[in-house]
Amino acid sequence: MSFALFIVRRLGRGVLTIWFAVTVTFLLLRLLPGDPALAVASPNMTDEARAGLLAQYGLDKPLPVQYVLYMGQLLQGNLGTSFTQSIPVLDVLLQRLPWTLLLTATALILTIAIGIPLGVLAASSKGRFWDKLVQIVGVTGQSLFVPSVGIVLLFVFGLNLGWFPIGGAYDQDVYGLEWYGSVLSHLVLPAISLTLIQLGSYVLTMRATLIDALGDDYITLARANGMPYRRILWKHALRNALLPATTLIGLQLGYLVGGAVLTETVFAYPGIGRGIYEAVTQLDFPVLQGAFLLLAATVVVANMLTDIAYGFLDPRVKAS
Amino acid sequence: MLALAACAPQAPEDTGGGNPEAGSDTLTIATTTDVVNYNPLIGNSRSDYWITNLMYPHLLSIADDGSKEPALATKWGYVDDTTGFYEIRDDFTWSDGEPLTAEDVAYTMNAVKQDAPSGTFYGQMANFESAEAVSDTRVEVTLSKPDSSIIDEIGFWGNVVPKHVFEPAGSVAEFANDGAGGWVSAGPYLLTDVQVGQSYTMERVDDYPLVEGGTPIPAKVVYRVFPDVNTEILALQSGEVDVIANALPPAQVEQLRNTDGIEVAEVPGLGYAHMVYNMDNPDLAKLEVRQALSQAADYETIRDVVLQGQAVSTGSSPLMPVLSAYYDDSITEYEFDTDKARELMEKAGYTAGPDGMFPVTFRLLYSLQDSVTSQWVQLVKDSAAEAGIAIELQGLERNTYLAKTDEGDYDIYAGNFAIMDDPVTNFTLAYLPGGAINYTHVDDPELNDLIAQASVTNDTDEKVSIMREAAKIVHDKVYDNIMYTQNLYMAYSSDWDGFIVKPSELLSIVNPESVASAHKAE
Repeated sequence: MSFALFIVRRLGRGVLTIWFAVTVTFLLLRLLPGDPALAVASPNMTDEARAGLLAQYGLDKPLPVQYVLYMGQLLQGNLGTSFTQSIPVLDVLLQRLPWTLLLTATALILTIAIGIPLGVLAASSKGRFWDKLVQIVGVTGQSLFVPSVGIVLLFVFGLNLGWFPIGGAYDQDVYGLEWYGSVLSHLVLPAISLTLIQLGSYVLTMRATLIDALGDDYITLARANGMPYRRILWKHALRNALLPATTLIGLQLGYLVGGAVLTETVFAYPGIGRGIYEAVTQLDFPVLQGAFLLLAATVVVANMLTDIAYGFLDPRVKAS
Repeated sequence: MLALAACAPQAPEDTGGGNPEAGSDTLTIATTTDVVNYNPLIGNSRSDYWITNLMYPHLLSIADDGSKEPALATKWGYVDDTTGFYEIRDDFTWSDGEPLTAEDVAYTMNAVKQDAPSGTFYGQMANFESAEAVSDTRVEVTLSKPDSSIIDEIGFWGNVVPKHVFEPAGSVAEFANDGAGGWVSAGPYLLTDVQVGQSYTMERVDDYPLVEGGTPIPAKVVYRVFPDVNTEILALQSGEVDVIANALPPAQVEQLRNTDGIEVAEVPGLGYAHMVYNMDNPDLAKLEVRQALSQAADYETIRDVVLQGQAVSTGSSPLMPVLSAYYDDSITEYEFDTDKARELMEKAGYTAGPDGMFPVTFRLLYSLQDSVTSQWVQLVKDSAAEAGIAIELQGLERNTYLAKTDEGDYDIYAGNFAIMDDPVTNFTLAYLPGGAINYTHVDDPELNDLIAQASVTNDTDEKVSIMREAAKIVHDKVYDNIMYTQNLYMAYSSDWDGFIVKPSELLSIVNPESVASAHKAE
């Protein structure tokens, strides 16, 4: 199979996945027991006013009609208008998306940058002190709860030591280079928090796959041929061990977005996760539909990139 | 008889102390939510209310006892049974230079009535027909039928918006007012910069007649969003923010009172927490069963333990002590006595089984997002079990809770109202058949008559007397079980002073006069 055909097939599968996600989101929201009119209106709203509000939202039409209208809108690139804010959904999302991308990408890079060396350290000292320490850290990391980690980090490094700001994405009234510095200082604690909760599973997977790889025949052969251990470890064993770890990164993206909802809430970070939370509380269907479409597209694209990376790491994937 | 009940104008409260000059300081206020809607006629969240209140004035404000006091309006009342009026100040100007006149007031009211936006304002307009600016400073309101509360209520709940901005935008129910061409303000501040999810920056409007000296003191007000209240408190302690706009959780009050550099202001609550027994349930339709339930809850323990002593009893009456003109201390709280509750159940015809439990189970609906209620319903369940009455708790996510409440799908409803400022309006909504918050589904002809009388009575003494009689019926027949009024506590930095606290969380420490009067402590 040519590389182009490989990409086309992945794209086709991605589009189908997004359509499925969009449809399920559309239906699930309408199966919720709440009523968007009740969620935003004052308790003393009259029945007529409530019916008027539902008509304004387009929720008075039969479900199939709503679905056809929504899909028609989507095909024209229109995500609709927010129920509560009366502005285009795309505007609502684009205001917040860059911050979530910055936060999750930083956490992902940190996870990989810290996770690989820690996994290598543990695997290469299997059963010894460093291995045990990394395992303890890994298992502990898997059981961390974002809000607790966040508050502890804020309390220690924000309030007591004063090294980092308490919340937000940047300071008011700063411009130019100073603004980038401010963005960076606001990013540190939420990114560490999100990294800490991802790191455990990544390190443990890395360790396990590397230990497997180190037991393979070709490693024994390389050792018998007198190849230096460091070279065997980093050049041969690690490259093979990276395959499952790469898959894990693709899978973890979903969790990363879930973690971002909580991280953004605790650190008052203005990302899309918080936007989703607010839209859920207000039953703002168009914003939720748009946000989930965006997230589905992000995860699909990331998984496609993972597949492509996988293809480079292991030519057998392309061949199959 | 024509009832002429114009309210006497009162000067705004004296802030006390000196009169610090307008300076260059920025007051940073923390809130837990973003602004959802900049149109004050639609907006419902607290942040919407706090921020738009700094730009779009109300005709009336509220005093500590729940009575209305002047804001944009200087006089208000009734010309006759179906005509009300407001006299407004002549010194208010929109920030784009246009004067604020009675035309703006009349336009706002008529547009709200016509377009039915989802906010609280429209909900007060059932008996409103139209408004007319009869001069630059006088608006007359025509009612579809006599209503002795409406002038107070729409004056208090409704903001005034600029006709020259809102009218060209079409329906006020759909206008986002998102500042595409900049905002226009007649309040102390003008919104100039929005960083969604992060901050809202407002700059001083030099001419604001309701603040002493005529010019707001802080040059800027920045609202910063901290969705997690714990982070919000850390930000106050670290000095990143100066005030927290939302009320503190009861468990945090004592700790912050004892924290250096933090002051805690007490704000009278104007709402109440209550349990309502759904009379569509045949068991709960029996007075003895409702009485038994009312005697099977330990109100004092709930206030002491869950509310940490930060709540007051209303005497189980919907006329809370804070509404001092209406409060009737002869109505006393339901006694917590599980033996009496058992006797009442037996009197209602129920026999306890060998396990001491009566053959009834009531499903109690509450919102899981309401952390205080979520705690006390557990105590209610335990104490009811002592009286042999089984209560099954059904805590739900807020939107599902609202939907079930709307459908009447509960035996017992637990929840609270933030502001119940006008007894007649509240009784109309809560106890008349078809009332939007008549969660008991009560239809008592005697009570209905009293509420109808009060709603057309402009004589204050007579109205108070009628409402006390109605409250006694509600209490004695257990049409509602008011648990407490919660006092609210607001935290601010001791670097600041001069706030003018008003009742309720909506006004509290961040009402326009308070923000405009705040200054650095000496």
